[in-house]
Amino acid sequence: MLIEIAQFLTILSTGLFFLNFLFAFFFDSSDRHMASLVSKVYTHSSLLLATSFFIYVWLAVSDNFSVLYIAQHSNSNLPTFYKITSIWSAHEGSMFLWILFLVLWGALFNFVTQNSQDLKIKSMGVISIIIVGFLLFLLLTSNPFETILPIAPANGADINPVLQDPALAIHPPFLYMGYIGFVIAFAHAIAFMVEGNPSIKWESLVRTWSIAAWVFLTIGITLGSWWAYYELGWGGYWFWDPVENVALMPWLAATAFIHSLSVSSKSSSLRIWTILLSIIVFSLSLFGAFIVRSGIIDSVHSFANDPERGLYLLTFIGILIIGSMTLFSSRLSMLSSGSVIKTFSKESFISINNIFFGVLVFSTMLGILYPLIYESIYEQKISVGAPFYNAIFVPMAVLACIFLFFSIGAKWQRKLVISSFVNSISLSVFISGFLVLLAYKLLSIHGIWELISIFAGSIIIVRYLFVIWDYLSKKKYSNPFSVIAHIGLGILMISISLNNELSSERALNIKINQSDTYQGYQIKLTDLKLVNQPNHDSIQAIFLVTDPIGNNFYLKPEKRKYFARGQITTETDIHVTLLKDIYITIGDQLKDGSWIVNIQFNYFIRWIWFSAIMMGFAGVMLIVSLNRTR
Amino acid sequence: MKFILRTFVIILPIALISFFYLYINDNDYYPGADYRNYDLPQFELTELYSNADISNEDLEGTYLINVWASWCITCRVEHGFLAKLSNQNIPITGINYKDEREDAIKWINKFGDPYKLIIHDYKGSLALDMGVTGAPETFLISNGEVLVHYRGEVNNMIWQDVFIPVITKYELFK
Repeated sequence: MLIEIAQFLTILSTGLFFLNFLFAFFFDSSDRHMASLVSKVYTHSSLLLATSFFIYVWLAVSDNFSVLYIAQHSNSNLPTFYKITSIWSAHEGSMFLWILFLVLWGALFNFVTQNSQDLKIKSMGVISIIIVGFLLFLLLTSNPFETILPIAPANGADINPVLQDPALAIHPPFLYMGYIGFVIAFAHAIAFMVEGNPSIKWESLVRTWSIAAWVFLTIGITLGSWWAYYELGWGGYWFWDPVENVALMPWLAATAFIHSLSVSSKSSSLRIWTILLSIIVFSLSLFGAFIVRSGIIDSVHSFANDPERGLYLLTFIGILIIGSMTLFSSRLSMLSSGSVIKTFSKESFISINNIFFGVLVFSTMLGILYPLIYESIYEQKISVGAPFYNAIFVPMAVLACIFLFFSIGAKWQRKLVISSFVNSISLSVFISGFLVLLAYKLLSIHGIWELISIFAGSIIIVRYLFVIWDYLSKKKYSNPFSVIAHIGLGILMISISLNNELSSERALNIKINQSDTYQGYQIKLTDLKLVNQPNHDSIQAIFLVTDPIGNNFYLKPEKRKYFARGQITTETDIHVTLLKDIYITIGDQLKDGSWIVNIQFNYFIRWIWFSAIMMGFAGVMLIVSLNRTR
Repeated sequence: MKFILRTFVIILPIALISFFYLYINDNDYYPGADYRNYDLPQFELTELYSNADISNEDLEGTYLINVWASWCITCRVEHGFLAKLSNQNIPITGINYKDEREDAIKWINKFGDPYKLIIHDYKGSLALDMGVTGAPETFLISNGEVLVHYRGEVNNMIWQDVFIPVITKYELFK
């Protein structure tokens, strides 16, 4: 009965959201009563949908295996926490969560803004019709409420074991919040162009929302990277997996977007860029959903596939993108501000870096498309991997860093007077050159691109240290968010280069009570234990590791066999130090009784995530400060 | 300049979307389907009910092989469609995959038996040789040669789109 109620509530809210779209677009939205109606209908229909989702959560928690999806992805032996997260472990349920977040972003926006705020009602209409599109997709092609009747299975098939992990439980929700959060900016862009009144400052209305979405996306990608590192046993932070790329593209575009927003919320000079980027960011988010859920690309992330789903999503996304681009091109003259961007002004630097971001997005897209095009012409599968992306990303990132470096201290709408910064610029270059020399001599880093990237990263960091110094000694104002986020970028550049050059790995064969050494570390296999858990058995290997100075620590990697699916997973164990991770996994046992032990030294990998967290933190601070000044 | 921007922002998405549209509508689209032809691997296993030895010689003509297990929920969903195929006189051989004998027999007794013959592959050795990644998976085999390998649930749509074209091409089941 509950299942039917939940499904009915979803259908009902679909109808109400559609009505809401009609109200917002085909009636006079400046009318006070109409506006209040739209706002109220939205609130109620989102309550219906949220109720439906909570019933679904309850169905999962109470092991209702007559729901097909729950039977396929949950199990009564699971801890309650994973019964809940099993909802977003596959296609139907995660789509449901995605829609819930879409609805919630709209509801939050609706809740905190006045009905009389410019563009609000039309934006709510745009959000409503997007919700309807996704709800129809859910109900027609991927119904999570489908039942197995009359006899429900006694137990479920279990969640995929690699997904039984706290990082994974929160990684998709963060990503979804990020992807779909750009709907507020997109809806406003559309409403702004429909309304056709260039004096409305739509950019400042969406700034907080867009930065919030960007923070979610940044943290979501970082969590995913961290999860793949320790749980999948991939042993690195980025793999240019197609689905990582579809998350990276909106992130790159969104980074360009929030920079352009900060320009056009002050003057209208980058308005065309900003509108275009808001459409691109949202389109790329939807495109990501299409790629993952249509199954056209093989990846660890791809869901079970069905061409009908792909076709529906493609049509829906196609209408949205082509529709909004047509609207955009018909409103070009309204959007152009006529003001000219001064050379060496802050705007000019941001525009240049927008172009770099554009090139990166385009290249990533090409990396995803090329194998598909190749396959349909030559009927052979190929894959585009790290060498392609490195060849493009590294030089582009370095160039972008150099432009960023020269832009520090630039003013809005005024030509930058380089001569007033000559001292700190030349000192930064000098100090960074010295650091590169140190890296070359002491750490024996010889890769030319690694050295260049270290240089690019450190000129930014050192230059910002001068900015901080100026602030502390002369109280000269500087934008703290930009300082933190960009120092994060500098750390990212340096730690990626060091990680690339210094990390190493080796497969060892070790018998029990024997030891082997690698890079001065002595690794002894002291014990093997069988551990029984409620839903899996595991073999735990216990290693005593002695570092070159003589300190001891234990590492306990595992191999697990999960009962419900018979799947075997490897659990890594990691010893974390400030500069490097010692990362160990066990493989199979060989005929002579020895075990294959894979040991990796991953340098500066924590710093990579730390730098991403710094950027996210800067975003959070900026949101707080924007709302305080309001 | 405006003209270029205007054309570019419309043409590019249209080109992209039409590409994906054509790509999806391609028959080869089903990622679970594999049409490479190869010989059925040699095996020596036992029959599920009788425990009698069974090997390649016991399989002949044109038939389907369906990999299933009692722990596999999707197999339960697929089961109804297999019964329909079996009623249309299409012979199906089951491979019971990584399953306890009693559980498997109980399952068949409960939901019905569409199979001519069930091979008990407790260790998954035959399945491994056949490139099985999980259950359910279905193979179309004619005279010892694998013609189609499909990973995932076979339903009416998959049957029409993936299997029927091959069956028509080689004029099988006649």
